[in-house]
Amino acid sequence: MIGRRGLMIGATMASAIPALTYPDPAQAAASPYMLGTLFPMSGPNAEYGEIFTAGADMALAHVAADKMLRRPIVMKAVDSLATPQGGAIGMSRLVNVDRAIYVLVGFTGVSKAAAPIGMRAKSILVNGGGIGPDLAGLTPYFWNVIPLANKEVERLAPWAVAKGLKRIAAVYVDDPYGIGVVSSLKSSFSKAGGKVVAAYPISPTDQEFAAIAAKLRAVKPDAVYFASYGAQQSEIIKQLRNNGVTQQLLSPSSVDIPSVHALPQSKGLIYTAQSADWNSPDPVTRRFVQDWKAKYHKDPVPYNQNYYNAVLLFALLASALEKQGKPVNGENLRNQLLAQRSFPLVGGTGVFDDNGDISLPIVIKQFQAGGKVVKIA
Amino acid sequence: MLFAQLVVAGIQTGLLYALTAAGFAIIFGATRIFHVAQGAAFALAGYAFLMSNAAGLAWPLAALLAVVVAVAFGVGMERWVYRPIQRHEASFFTVFVASFGVTIIAQSLIEVSFGRGFVTLSTPLTQARPLLPGLYVAPVFWIALAVTAALFLGLAVFLRFTRAGIGLRALSESPELLRSYGLSSSRLSVLAFAIGSALCVPGAILTAAVTGLQPSIGAHVMLISLAATIVGGIGSVSGAACGGLLLGIAENLSITLLNTQWSEAASFIVLFAFILLRPRGLFGLASTR
Repeated sequence: MIGRRGLMIGATMASAIPALTYPDPAQAAASPYMLGTLFPMSGPNAEYGEIFTAGADMALAHVAADKMLRRPIVMKAVDSLATPQGGAIGMSRLVNVDRAIYVLVGFTGVSKAAAPIGMRAKSILVNGGGIGPDLAGLTPYFWNVIPLANKEVERLAPWAVAKGLKRIAAVYVDDPYGIGVVSSLKSSFSKAGGKVVAAYPISPTDQEFAAIAAKLRAVKPDAVYFASYGAQQSEIIKQLRNNGVTQQLLSPSSVDIPSVHALPQSKGLIYTAQSADWNSPDPVTRRFVQDWKAKYHKDPVPYNQNYYNAVLLFALLASALEKQGKPVNGENLRNQLLAQRSFPLVGGTGVFDDNGDISLPIVIKQFQAGGKVVKIA
Repeated sequence: MLFAQLVVAGIQTGLLYALTAAGFAIIFGATRIFHVAQGAAFALAGYAFLMSNAAGLAWPLAALLAVVVAVAFGVGMERWVYRPIQRHEASFFTVFVASFGVTIIAQSLIEVSFGRGFVTLSTPLTQARPLLPGLYVAPVFWIALAVTAALFLGLAVFLRFTRAGIGLRALSESPELLRSYGLSSSRLSVLAFAIGSALCVPGAILTAAVTGLQPSIGAHVMLISLAATIVGGIGSVSGAACGGLLLGIAENLSITLLNTQWSEAASFIVLFAFILLRPRGLFGLASTR
């Protein structure tokens, strides 16, 4: 049996192990920077996880190829299941077990659950996928490299009202993301001279929307705005169209995923998204787009861009800290972000505000036949 | 017209519930086995249909393959799960846990084989057309109605007028009496599982076309089927059919009064009402204490 003294000796020896493992600063410097991803890698939203990860992976390859950092980066992936519970458990594991100092996250509910854990551990969380309006300024260690839904709705409302789409009916998932979007929708359309005439909450797991289609037809709105995510969006579009809802469909950027592009009924759907000019001449964007097309034989989507930018942002901040001789940790990364503010990212110069939120212009796009998308405003 | 539209949507949903619930009722009525894995048969049949259709098989052949998958699953459960358990202790909970465990395994198999997202079938049959001003009906509604009516009619004739059908009805009452008439209770048990499993196939195919499938759909379908069986009267096939129809209509009509998120809960509110006010269900026999 091990006595109290034995335990103390063991603890002392254990604490000495790191010093034995890295006897000099040069070797210590070789230990990798631990980064993490907290994406849905299974379930109905796994499609997002793949899209997010692909963007981050390309940035890791570019950072390594450019030898931007003195130490390598190791990326640990944890499945968030796209649920707040999965977010909290995953974030605890990333900061307590893997000691991740910088974690990429998506989905509003996941972000809100993980943020307090990141705050306590002083680990940075960077969101490039969730667009719930209340993600702005969630904690000092939570940043957004994606414009949030309130910005998207603020852009859409005056345009829609000018086009005669004044009476809006909303269908939204009853979670922090959907509730935040509908709240923004009501205030933005009210300011623009329109009105949200009906709002129908749905569960994230709902599959049947024929009854909601009947209610929508009875309300006779000018347009139907739906805020959902993942494969459920395809079912909403298909079933509303199949059940006689002929009004204009509107959505935030969450609809910009391959399964919706492939759906014939998505033709005519209008949505908002961050501006992404893949023909931009700036070298960062050009390299990203060229390498993306060479690897995947298609254009990237904004989510790819965001998570590429999230990793690139880390490399730029960590590189600056290395040059200053400062340790790369959450606190110093945050101080460096606030000191520097603007960074050369994909899409142009990314400028961050006091909350750590990027500002990007929002455009309005429309699905055409065959899943093609055109910018209409 | 909203009311009529919701009734139509409710009937379509209810017909799918009725078929699955009737399958469960036949199995439970004949064997007294609480076959929770009927939901897994539904999911497996739906995926078999979707995948074989996507591979280029014509609808009738894909549907036939789905029937083969569902029946093989049901009969396999009877032979290799329930029968060994019954040979030893046959406790209700052992059967229930085994059946539930197989449901989880089937769900995991589907997830590994076909992914965890929604899969759906694009067909013009789900495209609704106006029947009356403000009332939209899709061809799939008439198909569901015709298929359900034909199957229930065939089932009624089979149970009432054939030797095997009468044997199935008698199986739960007196297996010894069956033997004296030269009928094999184990063969009838297999037959009950085969028919019960096959009955969930039309519902699975129509669900794949109307709302799409996901690996965990079996659990949802089974819950509704159980509720329909209790509402209709345990062991009664016609009761299960009426129960399924009633729950489908209640689910859809509830949104005229309640928030849209309450539609699923509406089915269980109806169930609780029956448990409290009419525990034997619509067509069940009153039990004496």
